[in-house]
Amino acid sequence: MSDLAEQLVHGLTLGSLYAMVAAGLALMFGVVRLINFAHGEFYMLGGYAFWYAYAELGLPYPVAGLVAVAAMGVFGLVYERAVIRAILARTWHVQLIATLATSITLTNLAILVFGTQPKEVPTRLSAAILDVGGVRLAWQRLLVLGAAVAIFAGLEWFVRHARLGKAMRAVSQNREACAVVGVDVQQVALATFGISAGLAGAAAALVSPLFSIFPDVGALLTLKAFAAVIVGGFGYVRGAIAAAVLIGIAESLAAGYVSYAYKDAIAFVVMVVVLLVRPQGLFGRRIGI
Amino acid sequence: MRAGRFILGSAALVAVPWIVAALLPGQQRYVLHVLIFTALYGSLALSYDLVVGHVGSLSLAHPAFFGLGAYTAALLATEGHWPFAAALPAGVGLAALVALAVGVPMFRLTEHSFAMGTLGFAIVTQVVATNWVDFTHGPLCVTGIPKPQVGALRIATLPAFYWMGLATLALVALLYRGLTTFRLGRAFHAVRDNETLAAAASIDPLKYRMLGFVIGGAVAGGVGALYVSYVGVLCPGELTVSLSVNLLVMIFLGGIGTLRGVLVGAAAFTALPEVLRMAPNWRMVIYGLLLLVIVIRAPDGLEGLIRRGSSLGRRPWGA
Repeated sequence: MSDLAEQLVHGLTLGSLYAMVAAGLALMFGVVRLINFAHGEFYMLGGYAFWYAYAELGLPYPVAGLVAVAAMGVFGLVYERAVIRAILARTWHVQLIATLATSITLTNLAILVFGTQPKEVPTRLSAAILDVGGVRLAWQRLLVLGAAVAIFAGLEWFVRHARLGKAMRAVSQNREACAVVGVDVQQVALATFGISAGLAGAAAALVSPLFSIFPDVGALLTLKAFAAVIVGGFGYVRGAIAAAVLIGIAESLAAGYVSYAYKDAIAFVVMVVVLLVRPQGLFGRRIGI
Repeated sequence: MRAGRFILGSAALVAVPWIVAALLPGQQRYVLHVLIFTALYGSLALSYDLVVGHVGSLSLAHPAFFGLGAYTAALLATEGHWPFAAALPAGVGLAALVALAVGVPMFRLTEHSFAMGTLGFAIVTQVVATNWVDFTHGPLCVTGIPKPQVGALRIATLPAFYWMGLATLALVALLYRGLTTFRLGRAFHAVRDNETLAAAASIDPLKYRMLGFVIGGAVAGGVGALYVSYVGVLCPGELTVSLSVNLLVMIFLGGIGTLRGVLVGAAAFTALPEVLRMAPNWRMVIYGLLLLVIVIRAPDGLEGLIRRGSSLGRRPWGA
């Protein structure tokens, strides 16, 4: 019984990671209708930024975490200006291959710079264990869950009430009409990439103390986050978050009770089953944030 | 005139082992090795271009079909002691069957989802190849794959493998040409360029997409079987996503949807690292950047540069 509870918490942690990455992916798709194949690499870079700030520079954990978020936010802005702007008006094939090419470039640059040896970044919280009636949990996992809830609540408030968030929703509904009434569509797209990349950075800062960081962590992560975006209904951020949490739990239970070696296939199987049974996603078809 | 040049060109290609031996004594092994890889990669790139360039489905599952053909042939030859003449068709057949089985659910997906779904399939295949140690030997690799022997004909020397590669490339090029011209080719292009219009003209998009996907997968399986018979070893690392990236670089570098372009791309791609002699990771960084620049700045590749002046210029996918 306590075993099951532990697996569930592990699944929720994993699901929070997937959800933060998937939310960024869904935001980008919602606003500019583009799938960023390099999104998993944003998480990977965020992990290295966190590692550098925490382990190399010796900054305290919260500061190092914010450094990772800020670094990735800036990276997202640069990426939008350097790559995305050149391909926004092109066909989806070009967009997909361009972002895939970015992902390959970033992964291999990371191998050159940081090596293939995974970086472990344990913190005081990842070593401290909480024991609740036989269920043993690292405090870091509780931090991940709490922070994820706070981040998603903040995101929800931002998209509903902040001026920029409303602009993002408006652009996702009708780009031309936004341009007509004077919304700076390009600025909104830029901000979306900053926020989405920042979310990946936050995910990295939160879970890196639990999972190690290595250069090709991104490929599978992009795939799983994308599976969550499909399962949740394309571009629907809340749906993507919910689906990501489900995938995390399914993967964790599969790893614990079925087969650890094949856990990575689970997200994909979930995706295929959902697509066959409900091609419009679990929560209905609706492009929008 | 054209026929004369064609015969002369073919004769020169067949005579390459002797020409190399005469011009570059001592380098023959190395040059032939690069040429064999070029021929095999060229065949694989053509099979990939059938799917991506002609039917317009951006599949990332090609490494899986290559791997299925390779593993089938390798395991049948080593564990089952099957002759090459039976193991090769088995590899082709299994790759085709799996392409059919995977295509049914995958073609319910469109655009990005199709790309992601096929990528997922490729990743799962690699995960299985790595972890099903009892069957595939996992990271220990399948070793001691015998050289092909058909009747009295044994392909064991480098020139023999070169001719095998050349024959494969010629066969695949012929198939590619046959499938992409005539009525079938026009149906492929109609489906690629405007699915709705094609359907309205009673050209069933699913049927033609599936046909391109299954034939492309079958050819990839065959190339995989030939590849392992040449290299002699098969590891799960051969099935990674980077193979898709390599294939994408080849077809985009040369010119997507064109026979000459894809062959030029494959030759340039295989020769490039040999000329530059760089570390594998730098290579992938450069390929990534190269692909990014080509797809943004020159999506019709070298072939487009050649054709730019003439009225033949066209841009696939309206890119």
